[in-house]
Amino acid sequence: MKRIFKKKEMGLVILALLLMTVITSVNGSFLSPMNIINILKGNVILAIVSVGMMVVMITGGIDVSVAGIIAATTLVIGNFMVSVTGNPILAYILGIMTGTVLGLLNGLLVAFIQIPPIVATLGTYSVMSGMMLYLTKGAYINNIPQEFIDFGKTTFLNILPDGDGGVIGLPIQLAFLALTIVITWYIMKYTRTGRGIFAIGGNTISAQRIGYNVNRILVFVYGYMGFICGLAAVTHVSIMRQVDPNAFNGYEMKVIAAVILGGVNVMGGEGSILGTLLGVLLFAVINNGLTLMQVSTYWQKIILGAIMVFSICFVVIQKRRASKKHAKVDIA
Amino acid sequence: MDKDTFIKLENISKTFPGVKALDNLQFEVKRGEVHALVGENGAGKSTLIKILAGNLQPDTGAKILIEGEECHTLTPLTSIQKGIIVIYQDFSLFPNLTVAENISISNQLGCKSGQISWKQMKETAKRALDTLGVDIDINATLDTLSTAKQQLVAIARALACDAKLIIMDEPTSTLSKGEVETLFKIIRGLKERGISILFVSHKLEELFEISSIFTVIRDGQYIGTYPLKEMNNDKLISLMVGRKVEFVRQAARNIGETILEVKDLSKAGCFKDVSFSLHRGEILGITGLVGAGRTEVVQAICGIDKADSGDVLIDGKRAIIHSMTDAVKVGIGYVPESRLTEGLILSKSVEENITITILKKLKGKNGLLSLKNKKRQAKDWIEKLNIKPGYPDMTAQKLSGGNQQRIVVAKWLATNPEILIVDEPTNGIDVGAKSEIHTLLRELADKGMGIIMISSELPEVLAISDTILVMRRGKINAVFDGETATQKSIMNAAILSDAGSGIVC
Repeated sequence: MKRIFKKKEMGLVILALLLMTVITSVNGSFLSPMNIINILKGNVILAIVSVGMMVVMITGGIDVSVAGIIAATTLVIGNFMVSVTGNPILAYILGIMTGTVLGLLNGLLVAFIQIPPIVATLGTYSVMSGMMLYLTKGAYINNIPQEFIDFGKTTFLNILPDGDGGVIGLPIQLAFLALTIVITWYIMKYTRTGRGIFAIGGNTISAQRIGYNVNRILVFVYGYMGFICGLAAVTHVSIMRQVDPNAFNGYEMKVIAAVILGGVNVMGGEGSILGTLLGVLLFAVINNGLTLMQVSTYWQKIILGAIMVFSICFVVIQKRRASKKHAKVDIA
Repeated sequence: MDKDTFIKLENISKTFPGVKALDNLQFEVKRGEVHALVGENGAGKSTLIKILAGNLQPDTGAKILIEGEECHTLTPLTSIQKGIIVIYQDFSLFPNLTVAENISISNQLGCKSGQISWKQMKETAKRALDTLGVDIDINATLDTLSTAKQQLVAIARALACDAKLIIMDEPTSTLSKGEVETLFKIIRGLKERGISILFVSHKLEELFEISSIFTVIRDGQYIGTYPLKEMNNDKLISLMVGRKVEFVRQAARNIGETILEVKDLSKAGCFKDVSFSLHRGEILGITGLVGAGRTEVVQAICGIDKADSGDVLIDGKRAIIHSMTDAVKVGIGYVPESRLTEGLILSKSVEENITITILKKLKGKNGLLSLKNKKRQAKDWIEKLNIKPGYPDMTAQKLSGGNQQRIVVAKWLATNPEILIVDEPTNGIDVGAKSEIHTLLRELADKGMGIIMISSELPEVLAISDTILVMRRGKINAVFDGETATQKSIMNAAILSDAGSGIVC
């Protein structure tokens, strides 16, 4: 029991509970089953992408091109579905392939050309979004086939009370989040590559010295981020039933904010899936709560940005203090 | 070949651009011996370690025999698989991972399958720690442990990798006396298990306590291997010093009044009670082993990293220096150790680099930077210091090491300093260029400047210093007159605590 309370994530849980209580007391509809399902459905994409971003940030890197990769992938599968088939399995295969290829490109730039991750991904983001606007001229794709729309409406676990005596189920999209969590958890905890990701984040030179192939791991990490973006893109289309080339503008900020809120160390080496999901939850609750409390979107942006900067400062200062403690050497 | 030999190296050379770090070195370590590797700063010890660890490849013609088998190329992974484990000064551990994982991580890398077994990992860690006879919580995160315990984790990792040769690079430099005792007990235990230890250290007392055999290298060359009973302090020091490079001694012409006085300067963890004075026309050499606190002292004088207590007097007046900008104002110029990282902007032109410290002075009538003045200044210094090739527009990285060093010197001379501090001014440049730098420093001193030169190269210190301070573990251990000091007396003072026979001025 003590162990559970000692964990870093505990602070986040308490914070989230506290916020929920405040919001519920202001607006009672916050905890209604419909609102909860709405929050889940509205943030499932954010959660999926954040889990991928967590992996990237554990290496000490960052990927600001996620919005570009997702938007490009929605465009590819949107066109594919309109012109070929609305089969969800094929859509997922194509989407994941597209995302992975774009992610691998980032990985190659970061690992082999050794461009700082933020610069490399900012560059590819610009290329991707410019290309997309050129190709679409900003137009939506609206005529998504019915087969895919029906798939997006599917629910599972149809036994949950809806509060009015009926039952509701969980949206199918949550299953993809679960899949992301399980795969990522397995990689991070039980594979050599996963532990290598932590090792690189902790001390890249040491990782190299003991024989890790750092470049290969970095390529994998950015490729995996792309893979997850692909998965998220198809899932997103299944919710929105249309493709808006501008839907993800500025999305990378939300993802990074959620991951940082979740306690992932911006300097690398630390982060957990549970923490990240709690970060997303916190982000979602703050957002939803601020909306329910009728705070303007401008203020929402300001508040979220401030929270983000504050939590980074906190981590950095803590690190600096710790390293000062270690630096003492005795003198004869 | 001897059956007891674990590793044998022959014809090991390593050339870096402009410098030959190792020259036809030979070396042999037998099973179950504690072997001391000694040499001055820059003798090539680190290069040798890196080659053994597979992080550097020797030049062609090298022959490496491990347990009688020839290894053509060593990579970090094959080196570990052969049982060679290096424990670097920083331990190469992962602060964010648990003790168990830190110990077993190399093992997991060696496995064929890409899967991690946490159960196996914990067992491996437990076994290794038990073998060492130390009690550390394997579930603790590494950065919660003390330095001494982290070192034990690093040794446990070596054991978990089935180490046959453990190379320890300055293992005692961050340990207290009691912790050193524990470490030595553990090393003796490892020795009994047939594991060889290569012990690299500057602390002679410790080397004599733990090692049974000594190999000395100097200037990248093999000097000899000697058993403990044929070795003593005196002999070891004379083997380490006596480098072949000789420079013409350039003594001071006229030493003037005191310009800088440092009184009881102290900084916790870096240096203690440092006092000395510098005169016009004098070159003050500060030497000692790397890590003795030399650079820290001058950085404190320059205000880069402030001292905790003590005074700096300039021309007899107490100077308050909080930053390099303050230091420039009172007439101090500082040429840092690594000219490439701290002294030069490599991608900028020679002109930009020379004038960067004096841009304020180059204002034209309209208050804006005058490009004409800037070019004139740059050309002036290029001529004065004979920087070649003399094109102000050439990017700094295209120049040779010696000329890059001149640019850095020019940059500080442009600020018109009374006191010039140079840290390892000739590091990494060839002998001819070194002599030229020496002449340049002497000329500057003769014009009335006071110069402090930090250097590890004893021939260089002896060639141009008028007074020599030798630092050891944060304190000034001895002061010598430049005319009468010898390499051996300096080395004695740098290594031994009871040297003290210097001439106090």
